[in-house]
Amino acid sequence: MKNRTVLPNIYLIVILCLFYLPIILVILYSFNVSRISSVWEGFTLDWYRELLRDRSMFEALRNSLILAALSSAAAGVVGTLGATGMARRRMRGGKAMEYLSTLPIMIPEIILGLVLLVFFSALGLPFGMVTLVIAHTIFCIPYVYLMVKARLAGLDKSYVEAARDLGASEMRAFYDITLPLTAPAIVSGVLLSFAMSFDDVIISVFVTGANTNTLPIKIYSQLKTGVTPKTNALCAVIFLVTVFLGGLSAWIARPRKKDINI
Amino acid sequence: MDSPPEEKGYKHITIIWEVNMKKTGSVLLTALLLTVFLAGCGGEQDASGSDRQEGGTGTTASGQLNLFTWEGMFPQELLDGFEEETGYRINYVNFDYDETMLAKLEASKGGDYDLVIADDYIIETVIAEELAQALDTSRIENYGNIDAVYQGQFYDPDDQYTVPFGAGVQTIVYDPAQVDITINGYADLWDESLADSIGIIANYRVIDGLALKVLGESYNTEDLDKIKEAGDLLKDLAPNIRLIKDDNLQDDLISGEVSAAVMYTSQVTTAKLANPDLEIVYPSEGIGFGIMAGFIPSDAPNADAAYAFLDYLLDAENAAAYFEYLGYYSTNVAANDYLSDDMKDLLTIPEGYATDMEMIQNIGSEAEQLHSTEWVEFKTAAGQ
Amino acid sequence: MMSKKNRQSARESGASRLLVAPMYLITLFFVLGPLIYMVVLSFQQRAEVWGVENRFTIGNYLRIFEPVYMNTFIQSLKLALLSTALIVLIGYPFGYFMAKLSTKWRSRAMFALIIPFWTSSLMRLYGWIIVFRANGVLDTILMRFGLTDAPLKLLYTYPAVVTGMIYVLLPFMIYAVYASVEKMDWSLIEAARDLGASPVRAFVTVCLPLTLPGLFSGVILTFIPSMGLYFIADILGGNKIVLIGNVIQEQLMKAHDWPFAAALAIVLMLLTSLLLFLYGKITKSDSLEGLI
Repeated sequence: MKNRTVLPNIYLIVILCLFYLPIILVILYSFNVSRISSVWEGFTLDWYRELLRDRSMFEALRNSLILAALSSAAAGVVGTLGATGMARRRMRGGKAMEYLSTLPIMIPEIILGLVLLVFFSALGLPFGMVTLVIAHTIFCIPYVYLMVKARLAGLDKSYVEAARDLGASEMRAFYDITLPLTAPAIVSGVLLSFAMSFDDVIISVFVTGANTNTLPIKIYSQLKTGVTPKTNALCAVIFLVTVFLGGLSAWIARPRKKDINI
Repeated sequence: MDSPPEEKGYKHITIIWEVNMKKTGSVLLTALLLTVFLAGCGGEQDASGSDRQEGGTGTTASGQLNLFTWEGMFPQELLDGFEEETGYRINYVNFDYDETMLAKLEASKGGDYDLVIADDYIIETVIAEELAQALDTSRIENYGNIDAVYQGQFYDPDDQYTVPFGAGVQTIVYDPAQVDITINGYADLWDESLADSIGIIANYRVIDGLALKVLGESYNTEDLDKIKEAGDLLKDLAPNIRLIKDDNLQDDLISGEVSAAVMYTSQVTTAKLANPDLEIVYPSEGIGFGIMAGFIPSDAPNADAAYAFLDYLLDAENAAAYFEYLGYYSTNVAANDYLSDDMKDLLTIPEGYATDMEMIQNIGSEAEQLHSTEWVEFKTAAGQ
Repeated sequence: MMSKKNRQSARESGASRLLVAPMYLITLFFVLGPLIYMVVLSFQQRAEVWGVENRFTIGNYLRIFEPVYMNTFIQSLKLALLSTALIVLIGYPFGYFMAKLSTKWRSRAMFALIIPFWTSSLMRLYGWIIVFRANGVLDTILMRFGLTDAPLKLLYTYPAVVTGMIYVLLPFMIYAVYASVEKMDWSLIEAARDLGASPVRAFVTVCLPLTLPGLFSGVILTFIPSMGLYFIADILGGNKIVLIGNVIQEQLMKAHDWPFAAALAIVLMLLTSLLLFLYGKITKSDSLEGLI
């Protein structure tokens, strides 16, 4: 059902523009000759050249991508399974479990980070990718869980019942009916988790190891001790890559003529 | 109304499923491809610690220095120079707060890092917690270059563990073009003409201390009544405060967001270089003084690399380059000869002030608690 | 002999248990564990030099009742409620309109939203500084059009912080609402319209209740972080807007009073949970029941 009037679309566009405004400005200032952001002194590509020479930046980027992929995938699986299971049957202690699992987003990151640091240290876990993935998965699960749960809540049970009546097994019904219907929620949850993990600074600072630097930590450190346009340049690059990725996958997944118009 | 016909609904669903799966699949695929591509790129720098990171208490290759300090301390050329000269590869790890550093150092039981550079007061704790190892100064050729003025301080009275890496004072800087009065000391900051125009750093020992200084007290007093009095005095300052920020406060002074500021030395240096008309004030009441120093953690995986770095940075020319980049006072007397003329004044303490300075040290928990409570009240008042 | 229904029931709960097992295990171990540590910590006493003493004390909790800290809680609450309310106002329509777009535009909109998210939120906030600061973008535009003749000095004020909060948290609300609206059966609205309801009436009586779970999720995902996001108040508020998150950070770092910080965090957690519980009761939204 399309938007009948043009007003809703205008609303969408205006909000999206406001969304992009700071980013556009950040990108603009990456070309600034002056180191200080408050003064514009001229156009230059120097910062980008400096960026390319910085190999620690690439390492950090790689680490962040791997971390985000692993965490959001893990959270996606665990969260979806959990939400589905919870929705089907009232589990003993289900409410408590649900509350507990959403706690990580209720606790301020700084104390969660510190507490995890001490906890992991007590467990003797090696600080690095292992602790990072665990920590990130913990705070990503709530996102997936809540999204899927909300989606399942409004789902018409008759679909599943119909399938069962037609003879489908549990697994079949889940795989063919429930999963596709909750797919948008799962995708939203995973994408959001990826973004949260990719952007996480505070918890990462605490639980990372000496040899594993992540991109947001690097940016954060740079912001703290001297914002140079190099950081802006980095963000510009990330932005472009993300846009490219998004465009690419949208192009791959474009509805073709043979797909039925939904 | 009947429920939707099963067949049509079923088809409907599988189509959504396929389309969504394709989308998700393609996104994940491209993300994966990108990750692999980047992994390939980053793979050139082999012997990269990232591949070998799970050695908790650090089994790093013999060729790596794990340097743990704030970001932006060294110019890239200096770091590259070290790598070329010695063959060690620098793994530059950052922390934001000294306390984070200590927490991590404790968690790794003094391992994981080879050289740590942090603030004086935290090093006092590090040494007390036995997380630093005594330095064998005979291994550092350039040790004699250290300016004796900065040694023998409260955190390491016998200079057993540390090498100074810069000193700073918190000074007032203001723009005479925007400020009508002449500022000579802290007390002038309370002037009404400065309403909503002062920026201060977010360090509550420094700012509470500002008021203590006006009252004629020591930064490190444990007298709770005096601290309370200072807190009340500070609240009167609240209307004049526009901004409380630790990082890059100089930007706001330069851009005109604030017309006066109490800042760290490195920020003062940057500001003055950007706008030579700014006035730097060494407050008449006396100033707070701090030293950054480097130490080797007790269980450092590669102490040899740390010694090499210490020696490298104590070399007069290297040190000069370091201090010019950093913007803090030079703690290396040999380096002073190599400082460029326009930077020399900014990087050395003016004559006569060496006696009027007091270092901000750790205080007891009761006094600390009161300080932090007063600080929150002050900030809240500033936000009204 | 077990009836077919019983056997099916047993198998169903078995399968359900398997499904929730990973979540249960991870939660029990990696969430409950640290949580217990945090609770224990909150009853300890900060040691003189560093760390904690093994003394039991409720002093930390008592300290929270000091007016300055109570005031901070109230401040945080006000800001969180204000931000959340504005986010609902802005985000719900967005999610709603987005769900009504055609399929290809829908996924485009979804990606358009997530892309800024992947650029560091810190940098994006700095982008807002460029907008808000004296003689920045906002001032330049307003002065160019003659609406104001002096810099607004909007930076480091309360409105700037609220803007930052909304900016950072809006996508959560949008996604949650979108996921819920998207799967709604539009024929129900059509039915209501056919029965004579005005568009507004149809919306309020049909659409709104059906999308409540999504709204609820959105509120959870928005309100909770808004109580703890201190870096926005730092960066855009010039540190003058003191939130509980700021206090916790400061207590943890500069004051190294871990027990007090833990106590604050636990109170914050309980407060947030209480509010969410009340909210759930008022909206009578309990997603589990939607499935029966």
